[in-house]
Amino acid sequence: MEINLFQAVLFGLFACLSSMPGMGGTTIGNYTLGRPLVAGLVVGIIMGDIKTGIIIGAAIQVVYIALVTPGGTVSADVRAISYIGIPLAMVAIKGLGLDPASSEGTGMAVALGSAVGTLGTVLFYGTATVNLVWQHMGWRAVEKGQLNRLYVVDMVLPWISHFICSFLPTVIITMLGANMVDIIKNYLPMDGIAMMTLFTVGSLLPAVGVAILLKQVVSKPADLLTFFFGFVLAAIMGVNLIGAAIIGGFFAVLLYNIRLLQYKTAHVPAAGAADFDDDEEDI
Amino acid sequence: MAEKKLSKKTLAKSFRNWYYGHLTCFSQEHMQTFGYLCSMLPIVRELYDTPEEQQEALKTYSAFFNTEPQLGTVIVGVTAGLEEAKANGEAIDGEMINGIRAGLMGPVAGIGDSLVVGTLIPILLGIALGLSGGGSPLGAIFYIVVWNLVVTLGMRFLYYKGYELGGKAVEIIVGEKANAIREAVVMLGTIVIGAVAASWINITTSFKMLNADGSPIIDLQSTLDGICPKLLSAATVIFCWWLMSKKKISPTVVMLILVVIAFVGVLVGFFNPGLSY
Repeated sequence: MEINLFQAVLFGLFACLSSMPGMGGTTIGNYTLGRPLVAGLVVGIIMGDIKTGIIIGAAIQVVYIALVTPGGTVSADVRAISYIGIPLAMVAIKGLGLDPASSEGTGMAVALGSAVGTLGTVLFYGTATVNLVWQHMGWRAVEKGQLNRLYVVDMVLPWISHFICSFLPTVIITMLGANMVDIIKNYLPMDGIAMMTLFTVGSLLPAVGVAILLKQVVSKPADLLTFFFGFVLAAIMGVNLIGAAIIGGFFAVLLYNIRLLQYKTAHVPAAGAADFDDDEEDI
Repeated sequence: MAEKKLSKKTLAKSFRNWYYGHLTCFSQEHMQTFGYLCSMLPIVRELYDTPEEQQEALKTYSAFFNTEPQLGTVIVGVTAGLEEAKANGEAIDGEMINGIRAGLMGPVAGIGDSLVVGTLIPILLGIALGLSGGGSPLGAIFYIVVWNLVVTLGMRFLYYKGYELGGKAVEIIVGEKANAIREAVVMLGTIVIGAVAASWINITTSFKMLNADGSPIIDLQSTLDGICPKLLSAATVIFCWWLMSKKKISPTVVMLILVVIAFVGVLVGFFNPGLSY
C-alpha cells in the first residue's frame, strides 16, 4: 500500500481544517474532523479501505477520548495523530501483513499514532507563533480604524500559518513514511525487544486516555466507584456501550432528582449560588 | 431618540462569526480575542454611526479572552445585549462590560471543559465506538451527525439566551438547577467511560511458571481473570490516574513511564505480544 501525492495533499488539507486552532472552526474542525474515529472514516475513504480506516481510527480514539486543552495547552495535537498517524498506521499494518482487527494490529496503530501525535505539539506551537504576525497586523488595523480587516486577520491569513505548519509537514511525512515500512521490516524483527516493547506500549496507552478523563470527573475517591460500576457492567456482565449509556442515563436521572430535592430542602439563599461554584473541577 | 435595537440579521452574523471564527487566529498571547472582535464587529457597526464611535466601542473587546468556546457562546450573547443597552444610554460602560466578560470566562471554561470536552464528547464517542465494531462506518457517522446537531443548536440557544437576558444569563450556567444537571451528566459520563475502559483496553500478561514437562504451574493471566476479568486494564488506568491527579505528573510523562514499564515488562517476560511477520 502506498500513498500518492494526491492522497497526501488531501491529508494535508484535512490537517489544516482539523487542528486545534484549525481552519474548520472547533465544532466542525477540531471536534469532528479531528477526532481519530472520524478521521479513520475520512482516511479510509481517501485510501480506499474504509473498514481498516475505521478499525485503526477507533483504536487510536480510545487514547485521545479526553483530549482536553485547558487554557490552550495541548498534550497532543489531533492533526498529526489523525492525518499523519492514521495513514501511516494503515500503510504499516498492511505492509507488515497484520490483521487490523487483531490486538497486534491495533497495538501497532496506537503506538504509531501516539508517537506521531507528539509531533503535533510542535505543529501546534508553530501555528500559534506564526499567527502572532497576523494578530500584529490586526492591532494596527484597529488603531487605524480599518475594522473590516479583522475578518481577513481572523479567517483568511491563518491559512498561511496552516500551509506552513499543517499542510507541508503532513504531505512530506505521509509521502516519506510509506517507504519506512520496508526498513522496519528488515531491521526490526517482531520477536526483538524493540518491536515487542512497541506493541506492549500500544496496549498500555489507552489507559492514559481514560485516566485523563477520570482526572476530570473524579473529585473524591468514592467517584471511582461510579467508574468501576461502568467497568464491571462491561467487563463482567457483558453490557455493550449503548447499554451502559442507557443504564448510566437512568442513574443520572435519579441523581438529578435527588439533587433538586436537596436544594429545595436546603433553602440555599440566592447569594450563595455564586460562590458554591466548582472547586472540585480544579483537582 | 429612537431606541436602538439589533436586527436579526446582525445577531445571526455575529453568532456565525463566533461559531466559526473563535479560534481560527489563535496565539498563546491572544487566544480567542480576534474571534471575539470579529463577532462584535457587526454589532458595533449597527449600533454606532460614526467610524470613531465604532472603533472606540470595539476597543472594549480587544482585551485578552479565552474560554471553552462552545459554552462560552453565552458570554458573547451577554455582551451583545449589554452593548445594545450601552448604546441606548443605560448606565453601562466598556469597563463594566469587560469586567463581566473577564469574570465569566474562567468559570465558564471550567464548567465547559468538564461538561463538553470531558463528558459530552466522550459519551458520544463511547457510543460511536460501540457502533464501529468490525470496521463499520456507522459509529463515525453517528458521531458526526449527533455532535454537530447538539452543539450547533446548543450554541445558538446560548447565544440568543445570553442576548435576551444580559447579565441574568449567568444564572443559567452557574445556577442550582444547572449544577444538578451537570452532576448528573458527569455521573453518566463516568459510567460510560468505565464501560469504554473495559471494552477497549486490553492489557494481558504472558507470565507463566512452567514445570519440567512444560505444563504451567501458574498461568498468571487466567488467575487474574478468575479474580476479575480485565483486572490488569483497570489497574493500569488507576495507576495512570494516580500518577496524574495525586502526583501531578503530566500525561506526556505518564506515557513515557508506560514506555519504560513496557520495556522492563518485555525483558522479564511479563509482556509478550507473541508476533511474527
